[in-house]
Amino acid sequence: MSYSDKVIDHYNHPRNVGSMDKSSTDVGTGLVGAPECGDVMKLQIKVNPQTNVIEDAKFKTFGCGSAIASSSLATEWVKGKTVDEALAIKNMDIVKELSLPPVKIHCSVLAEDAIRAAIGDWKKKQETGKPVAAEAK
Amino acid sequence: MTTKSTLTAIGSKPLPDDTHSCWSCGDMRAAHFCASCGKVQPPSPVDYFTFFGMPPKLNLDVAALEKDFYDLSRRLHPDLNARAGSQEQEWSLEQSSLLNDAYRTLRDPIKRTEYLLHLEGVALEEQSKAATERARATGEVKKQIVPPDLLEEVFELNMQLEELRMNKKMGEDDPNLTKEIAGHKIALEAKHDALLQELQTYWTDWDSLIERNHGSKAPAEERAKITAKMVDVLNRRNYIRNLVRDVNAALEE
Ligand code: FES
Repeated sequence: MSYSDKVIDHYNHPRNVGSMDKSSTDVGTGLVGAPECGDVMKLQIKVNPQTNVIEDAKFKTFGCGSAIASSSLATEWVKGKTVDEALAIKNMDIVKELSLPPVKIHCSVLAEDAIRAAIGDWKKKQETGKPVAAEAK
Repeated sequence: MTTKSTLTAIGSKPLPDDTHSCWSCGDMRAAHFCASCGKVQPPSPVDYFTFFGMPPKLNLDVAALEKDFYDLSRRLHPDLNARAGSQEQEWSLEQSSLLNDAYRTLRDPIKRTEYLLHLEGVALEEQSKAATERARATGEVKKQIVPPDLLEEVFELNMQLEELRMNKKMGEDDPNLTKEIAGHKIALEAKHDALLQELQTYWTDWDSLIERNHGSKAPAEERAKITAKMVDVLNRRNYIRNLVRDVNAALEE
C-alpha cells in the first residue's frame, strides 16, 4: 500500500506534536484507541473560555502513518474553530483530504474520536465549574 | 469429544443446500472425492469447517486437523490428477487452494475465532466506526470499546518505549528504564496468555451451545451473547499484542 503525498508530508513533518497540562481547566484531553489494530491517539485542545474558540491543539499518536497524519491534520483543522465547529469535522473529511484508502478509514475514525473525546472532556470540566486541583501533570 | 472429519463423503443423506452427485459416476453426494469412484469433485461453496467435514466448533483437535490437511493435500495434488484431464486438474487446483486457506485459518486460534465471528456476521473492522457514527448522531461522547485504563496503560508504555529508543539512538543507556520495560514485558506476556485463556472459556461456551442444538442453528440471541464476549477479548488482545511486539522490538534494537 502506498501513502498519498499529504500523508507522507504529515508523517514526516507532523504538526503540533506534544502535550498540554491535563489538569488545566481550559484544556480538554481525548485518549482513544482503535480496537481494530490496537493503536492509540491522544489529542488535546486549549479553549478560550470567553469565545469557546480552540486556541491550541496538540497530539501524540502511536500508530500507523495514516493515524499520525489524521491526527496531525485534525490539530490543524480544529485550531481557530469554536468547539461546535470542531464537532462538525467528520472522519470522511479527513479521508478525502488525505486520500486514505478504504483499509485506512478506521485510522481517520480514530482522529474524529479523539477530537470528540477532547471536547467532551473540556465540556465536562466547564460543567463542574471548579478548577481541578492545579497540580501539573 | 473431538470431531473427526470425514474426508470422502459427508453422510449418506444429501444435505439440502449443497447436494452433489458425482459428475462421473452419478453416485451420492461427495465432498472432495466421490465416495464410490474416488474422482475429484468440483469445489462447492462451503465454509472452512464444513470443508473439513466438521461442525463449527472452536475447540478443535489441531493434530487431527493437520493430519487431514496433509492427507487431503496429497490426494488433491494437481499433479496426481494431471492425467485426469484439464477439468479435473482445475478442480483439484481450486480445491487445493481452498484447502490451504481453510487449514491456515482453522489451525490458528485467533484466526479461527475471527473466522467464526465473520460467519456469524460480526464486522470486526466496522465496530469502531459504527460507534462513532452513533456518537455523532446523538451528540453523546462515544464510549471507548476497551476500558480507559487499558488505553492509559498502552499510551504510557509507548511513551517509555519512545524514550528508550531515543536514549539508544543518542548512545545513552538508562539501566533503570531498561529494567522497568523488561518487567513490563513479563507482565504483558502473562496478560496476553490470560486473554487467550479467557477466550478459550468462550470457545467452550460456544461449543456446548452448538452441541445442545444438534446441528440446527442455536437461537440468535444466545449466539450473539457469546460472540460479543469473544469480540471483547479480541479487542483487548489487539492492544496487548502490539505492546508485546513493540516492547520486544525496543529491547532488542
Ligand atoms: S492501522 Fe491502526 S490506526 Fe491506522
